[in-house]
Amino acid sequence: MKTEHISGYFDYNATTPISDEVAKSMISAIGQFANPSSSNNYSQLAKTVVSHARENVAKLLNVKAPNIFFTSGGTEANNWAIKGVLSKHSDQPGHIITSAIEHASVHDPIKYCIQQLGYEVTYLKPDSSGAINVADLKGAIRANTQLISVMYANNETGVIQPISAIAKIAHEHSIPMHVDAVQLVGKQHLDVTALNVDYLSLSAHKFYGPKGIGCLYIKDISSIDPLIHGGGQESAMRSGTENVMAIAGLSKAAEEAQQAIEQWNKEYWSYKQHMIALLNAAPIKVKFNGATNYIDALPNTLNITIEGIRAEALAARMEMLHHTIISIGSACSNNKTKKASHVLTAMGLNEVDIQASIRVSFGRFTSLSAIEMFVQALVAETQVLLSISESGICKSN
Amino acid sequence: MYNQIIIDNFSNPQHTGNLELADYEIEIGNPVCGDRIKIQLLTHDNFIDKAVFKAWGCATSIATANIFCDSVCGQPINSITQRSAEHLAQMLGELEPSQHHCLHILTQLHEKLAALLKAGVV
Repeated sequence: MKTEHISGYFDYNATTPISDEVAKSMISAIGQFANPSSSNNYSQLAKTVVSHARENVAKLLNVKAPNIFFTSGGTEANNWAIKGVLSKHSDQPGHIITSAIEHASVHDPIKYCIQQLGYEVTYLKPDSSGAINVADLKGAIRANTQLISVMYANNETGVIQPISAIAKIAHEHSIPMHVDAVQLVGKQHLDVTALNVDYLSLSAHKFYGPKGIGCLYIKDISSIDPLIHGGGQESAMRSGTENVMAIAGLSKAAEEAQQAIEQWNKEYWSYKQHMIALLNAAPIKVKFNGATNYIDALPNTLNITIEGIRAEALAARMEMLHHTIISIGSACSNNKTKKASHVLTAMGLNEVDIQASIRVSFGRFTSLSAIEMFVQALVAETQVLLSISESGICKSN
Repeated sequence: MYNQIIIDNFSNPQHTGNLELADYEIEIGNPVCGDRIKIQLLTHDNFIDKAVFKAWGCATSIATANIFCDSVCGQPINSITQRSAEHLAQMLGELEPSQHHCLHILTQLHEKLAALLKAGVV
């Protein structure tokens, strides 16, 4: 990977570049044409790739390999966990607890279960730190609560949710618990056995693997309905001939993460601290949204409100003039509607602040000098936009 | 993605600024997305000598303000309000659905100028 080509990429929470080692393992697997589920000699190699990948992912999560089920990614894993658990109760649809800051791949299947199957839901709101409150969760539990689904780390703020405490409460009440860990895996050490959750989703492309592959950890397969019926692959839980090349990529990504996660974590944290310090010293007014400390947030993510600017315009200037990519909290959708971040809205930010918010996320191909160039560009472009907007012109917003 | 017209006018706008004394001042805002644009025009013998803007908004809306200013400079003021809808669309180039509100902004700028001329506000 020629890192200088992607030094302006600050959107690692959206997706990460494939690492050289992952690419090599995928190229090597492309020759494994045989069906891993067959029993002939050719299939043996492909079967080995798949079983080795299951071992590598299990090792990364500290669980047993048979509890790992490959999916097409995080969205499929989230959909499966929610619909697969709730379909067990379709004769008596009950209650679901989730947070107001989940990814659409959790919110939308829950919405489907409400509208089509008659479930009820409680959405827990975060406080200004970006985390939901464990006491709120306790208070939301009903006699008929059939699933708790809460993300581990938020994709927009990086704020880590109190999953361990929630899992404990869930088990005290015998409620199955699903965790969307898509943003946390590969950024922070994770021990799913110690965490004792029932289902956990991950996606390879968030930690230097390929798109189109992920998995769902399932503690007890009898607790969830199969996702796809057919040829009996994935212990008959998710049928369909395995995508061996993508699985090989996930395998290598998991292996690399297992080996280097402590080092990545340290690097990200030092970059984040440096970026915070540079921004605080810059001649622009910034406000960090949600917790930014090492314990309560991912070390690679910052959500920042920059006073007086429109994030859309800033992101566009960063891309056009500095080849730098960031993500924004609000965007024009058309003349009559706009799309504002549901996460920042739930955290209580006002409309003007949401429109002025950006997400910066970096990763293993980021360097300290890239962080410094990034802040320099961000400050310069903010000042240009402030000079274009007359003082007070945005007051009516 | 942005077309080249928008990129050029947004990344290097030539008409930003404020006039102490302007002959015409147009201010518009979009209550939904919050975009705000203020245009000031200086005229001489019914020709526009200078056009400047201040704007708070997305890239396309800032580009739109610059495109408007650029297009009116040196033009007889009455000719500007005669522009057709097709002409206005061509000024911005091909837009993505999320950028279509900027055609509305450009139309509004022309309508407001026409209203000022009709009212004889100088």
